[in-house]
Amino acid sequence: MPPDQPTGYLIVSAVLFTIGVVGVLVRRNPLIMFMSIELMLNAVNLSFMTFAHYLDSVDGWIFVFLVLTVAAAEVVVGLAIIVSIFRARRNIDIDELDSMKG
Amino acid sequence: MSVFDLTPLVLLLPLLGFLIIGSLRVFNAHEHTEAIGWIGCGSIALAFICAAISFATLINSLTQAHDTTIWNWVVSGNLSINFGLRLDALSAVMLLVITGVGFLIHVYSVGYMHGDPGYWRYFSFLNFFIFAMVLLVSADNFLFLLIGWALVGLASYLLIGFWYQRPTAVAAAKKAFVVNVIGDFGLMLAIFLLYNRFGTLSYGGILFTDPGATTAAPQAFGVNDPMLIAITLLLFLACAAKSAQLPLHVWLPDAMEGPTPVSALIHAATMVTAGVYLVARASNLFQYAPVSLWVVAAIGGATAIFAASIALVQNDIKRILAYSTISQLGYMFMAEGAGNYSAGIFHLTTHAYFKALLFMCAGAVIHTLGGEQDIRKMGGLRQRLPWTYWTFIIGGLAIAGIVPFAGFWSKDAILGTLLARATAAGGSPWYLALYAVGLGTAILTGFYIFRLIFVVFHGAYRGGEPAPQPEGQVDVQARQRRRGNPLARVHEAPWIMLAPMVVLAGLSTVGGLYGTPWFDTLGSFLTGVLGNGFNVATFALQGAALWISFGVGLLAALLGIGVAWFMYVRRAPSLRPMGNIVYQLLLHKYWIDEIYDWVIVKPIVGMGRLANRFVEDGALDGGSRRLAWLVGKTSVGFRTVQSGYVRNYALVFLVGAILIILYYVARP
Repeated sequence: MPPDQPTGYLIVSAVLFTIGVVGVLVRRNPLIMFMSIELMLNAVNLSFMTFAHYLDSVDGWIFVFLVLTVAAAEVVVGLAIIVSIFRARRNIDIDELDSMKG
Repeated sequence: MSVFDLTPLVLLLPLLGFLIIGSLRVFNAHEHTEAIGWIGCGSIALAFICAAISFATLINSLTQAHDTTIWNWVVSGNLSINFGLRLDALSAVMLLVITGVGFLIHVYSVGYMHGDPGYWRYFSFLNFFIFAMVLLVSADNFLFLLIGWALVGLASYLLIGFWYQRPTAVAAAKKAFVVNVIGDFGLMLAIFLLYNRFGTLSYGGILFTDPGATTAAPQAFGVNDPMLIAITLLLFLACAAKSAQLPLHVWLPDAMEGPTPVSALIHAATMVTAGVYLVARASNLFQYAPVSLWVVAAIGGATAIFAASIALVQNDIKRILAYSTISQLGYMFMAEGAGNYSAGIFHLTTHAYFKALLFMCAGAVIHTLGGEQDIRKMGGLRQRLPWTYWTFIIGGLAIAGIVPFAGFWSKDAILGTLLARATAAGGSPWYLALYAVGLGTAILTGFYIFRLIFVVFHGAYRGGEPAPQPEGQVDVQARQRRRGNPLARVHEAPWIMLAPMVVLAGLSTVGGLYGTPWFDTLGSFLTGVLGNGFNVATFALQGAALWISFGVGLLAALLGIGVAWFMYVRRAPSLRPMGNIVYQLLLHKYWIDEIYDWVIVKPIVGMGRLANRFVEDGALDGGSRRLAWLVGKTSVGFRTVQSGYVRNYALVFLVGAILIILYYVARP
């Protein structure tokens, strides 16, 4: 049985999200950054589920499915971009990719 | 007998000629000068035959006019404009003159333009001109009249600037175009007002309504309706520009930069008479606006004597003829202003013969002298150029108005009209003044034309120096010959140039006989379409007055010729410029060009300079330059934000997200 209060779930969700944020900000390897983004998405999914359960509503579940779908699509596109960047430059250090500098 | 109307063919044939000759360049076949000559002349010859057939059947039928609607061009609300052609007495006469004289000048051009590198271009333009002119006179509504009006202006521009390597020719072409656009503008405004007043633009709806109908225009507006006066004055503005009347005459003398046959065709015989045609065409409007008729007559009279006085002292053979053309056009407008439109048209036709002839003769002289146009460097050409000399004499007698040459009858019709208007019951002394002006002009005409003949053909040859400004193709051989023995090898023009001259000399001799006071065939033929049936007979002098008018007119011409003979044959001609003020005034054409330059051209150019400096450079260019500079400067600050590092952007996202959350949390 789940506990009466959602506090624990939400703390886990917040921790996961923070790990994701820090990961995106501090790591320079795009694969790791990708994983961090996934972490954030799933942290959000977790809180969606939590609220869905405790508020007794299906809205949260629906959002979770949507987020999963989007995340999958995003990974496909993102990985393809990373692969082609690697092919072109033999290097995927994110700080080297500054050709958009104004 | 019904009308066999071939007007569409008359329009189509020159257009075809233009298209065929014009496209020869595309197929690199423009060197086939003989074929070009045949196509160019052939299309006009066929057009002339078609025009003659239409004319003959029209004159033998009871039909007043025959309209051909080719297609319906514009239908918008209650505005409906047909592309239609109208064959009536007026357009039939005009078509005959245009295609007839046009054909002769095409033939002449074959000889004159021989060897010019732009031969194909010349003939395509010339055919195009005939097409445009036919459209102008045969259109059945004012809009297509305007289209033809503008197209002849274009043809004139192209042909004045035909030798585009010469800066003077280009400047003259530009000048002609700009001055003509002033007239086009007037015509356009007149058309707007016509539509506003009549709700239609067709001649049938505006000009030829049944005189008995009360609802119909222009009778509905009564005499001197302000709108009618405005319309007719605007129409006359267009006429003044096209027909080189004061104060818009300045382009015509400069237009002599074009090849001489062009001057003969466009700037003497046909295009410049479009204004005379338009006043006659719109005579049913003018008839209801006597004020405008006064303006027409006054401007015509002023122009006639003004231009003739300039022609007295000019030294360029073509410019003398150009001023003479302006002066003769003034005569035609005097006749129309006095209400005798058919006399105007009569003088138009005879003038087309003798002025085209005079230009052709001048062209033959210029041609054989390798481009020399200054009469001070000619002289004594009588023996060397007998054909040219005698045809020139015939043209001169015709324009001076010596019986029985064409010009006598038409000029006398005009002078007689003025005298009749002055002496008739209720006649105005103003007509007497105009009659005096007409007589004065006749004296001047006799003088300047015979001065030209005597100086060019009599006395001793004064040339010898190579021409500073050769016309067209420099005839190098002719120049070399002249260095050796100036007159020895000066030769008569080829037969292809002489033949049209002889034909026109014939027409100048007998061409006036269809308009004599006793057998006024032309007048009665035109009565139906001119002046809404106002009776031409009221202008005719009767009995003794007629003979007095003849005698006075003839005396005036003989006086002019006699003075010229005395000054240039009897005494050794003095061709040195004189110092006295009148002579200088005339020699410098009353300084009109200079005045226009100072009063109009310079201020406009100055305004343009100022606008360029302050508006263009200062406000428009300067403004946009400053704006661009501002944007650039601002962007320098902002672009540091665009570091290009993904993690920077992510951080900005994060901070933004945190701020948004804080906002919602902190919100009360």
